[in-house]
Amino acid sequence: MKSSSIVFLAAFIALSASWAGFVLVPQIQLGRADQAETVPSKDKYPVARAGLAAQGAEVYRSLGCVYCHSQQVGQTGVKVEVVLLDAGTNADNTLSALKKVNAALGKPETFIGLPKQIAEVADIAASDALVKAVTDAGGKIEVNVVPTGTDISRGWGKRRTVAQDYVYDAVVQPGTRRAGPDLANVGSRWTDPNWQLNHLYAPKSVVKDSTMPAYRFLFEKRKIGKVASADALKLIGDSTPPTGFEIVPTDKARELVAYLLSLRAEAPLWETPLTPPPALAVSTNTTTVAVKSEIKNFTASELLSVEGKGK
Amino acid sequence: MNADSKQSCTLTTEAEPTAEMSPMPVWIVALMVTLLFLSAWYFDLYGGWFEPKVFAPYVSVADVQRFQPNTDPSASFIAQGKKLFTDNCAVCHMETGVGNPGNGCPPLVDSDWVKHPTPDRVLMLISKGLSGPITVNGKVYNTGVMLAVGDSLMGDEKEKAYKIAAIASYVRKQFGGISVIVKPEQAEAVRASIKDRSANYTADELLKVP
Repeated sequence: MKSSSIVFLAAFIALSASWAGFVLVPQIQLGRADQAETVPSKDKYPVARAGLAAQGAEVYRSLGCVYCHSQQVGQTGVKVEVVLLDAGTNADNTLSALKKVNAALGKPETFIGLPKQIAEVADIAASDALVKAVTDAGGKIEVNVVPTGTDISRGWGKRRTVAQDYVYDAVVQPGTRRAGPDLANVGSRWTDPNWQLNHLYAPKSVVKDSTMPAYRFLFEKRKIGKVASADALKLIGDSTPPTGFEIVPTDKARELVAYLLSLRAEAPLWETPLTPPPALAVSTNTTTVAVKSEIKNFTASELLSVEGKGK
Repeated sequence: MNADSKQSCTLTTEAEPTAEMSPMPVWIVALMVTLLFLSAWYFDLYGGWFEPKVFAPYVSVADVQRFQPNTDPSASFIAQGKKLFTDNCAVCHMETGVGNPGNGCPPLVDSDWVKHPTPDRVLMLISKGLSGPITVNGKVYNTGVMLAVGDSLMGDEKEKAYKIAAIASYVRKQFGGISVIVKPEQAEAVRASIKDRSANYTADELLKVP
């Protein structure tokens, strides 16, 4: 084989080029990615999943949820909306100030039905003149950066997902098929754990046209003893068990739901600029949000009765 | 034998395969050049030049920068204060600032201490804690001890002062309606003047502070 060295060289180049493209370059780009800070509130993001949610990621993986659900939100563009909140005490002043910047905006109808979007501009810098004009005249104005795209208009997320969202995922499961909806933000779209459990037990009872199979093996059907279990599912619709029985979620179901509730890829990051709603700007800590709904203040008599339940 | 020779005769009529060099068809060359051009063009448009923080639809760092929302720096400082408050103060004073009168923990909402025009006594209180009763809006709260939360914050002296200033700014804005922020330098100065103290303050001592 007289050209064996050429064949070897060609194969070597082909393999090393693809290795460089698929392994080396991504490693150089993102290999050292770590917790980053959100903009502008400087919260740490992402926060590692704790306890149940971390185990839930394994349940999600083992059940093959990834075959029908993606966890990546796309974004095709971005728009900058200028919203007028308040025209100020001297509206004529504001009007003439606006007119100087943009003749089309300097009309009385600009002030009808505030707050109102008055312009869409190319970028933040292009909005500065409008902001200055209105603020100087005593009015209030707001500039919102809003990501756009089909996924976002479906309500699957407020922004696209980026590498930062997956930093703490041991097995990244972005998925490719969308037989079901995208789950990148399912924790902020469906915040009620009871809804999530019902949905796993009987998808059609909560989403009429759902094609998801029912994951009944994640639940136990038990005969009600002396006292009904406090953890028993509050079922909705026609999936109610026969009288005398109750449906209790297993640990796996709880873990999976904890994981689903922890999926919130919506923190405002530098690489995906957006104007977050005020509540979000303060805390993006997923675990505390999920747990908070369960914290309540017990009265002394309630605490005393807890001891009695064990007996 | 006869039949064999007949067959070989028909085989020889077929063309022999050749192994000569032949020029590459022009259309393949044209296709390759076009594809190369298109891919380079696409890369130029959307490649982000290997910048790990540039994702579509943005094409360069400058492009992402164009859409960074203008933020009020004091808003971010107060947001940090809120977070620190939640982590360190809300256990007793509650996130809503209503306090826990049952445990002798006074409210912060509309409290005359919080609304005091100068932040010095609040900074000292957060730094070193308080023991003994305290009168808030005319009502006496029998605080056992408020720990020296400020001194036990994480970080060196400068970071502590920064965090205490952030907490004070948030508390004054949220519960007292004072939107002027407490600057970290103010907290540093106050803390420098009391750095040798280890005991908690009492309410009477703090009331002497302007």
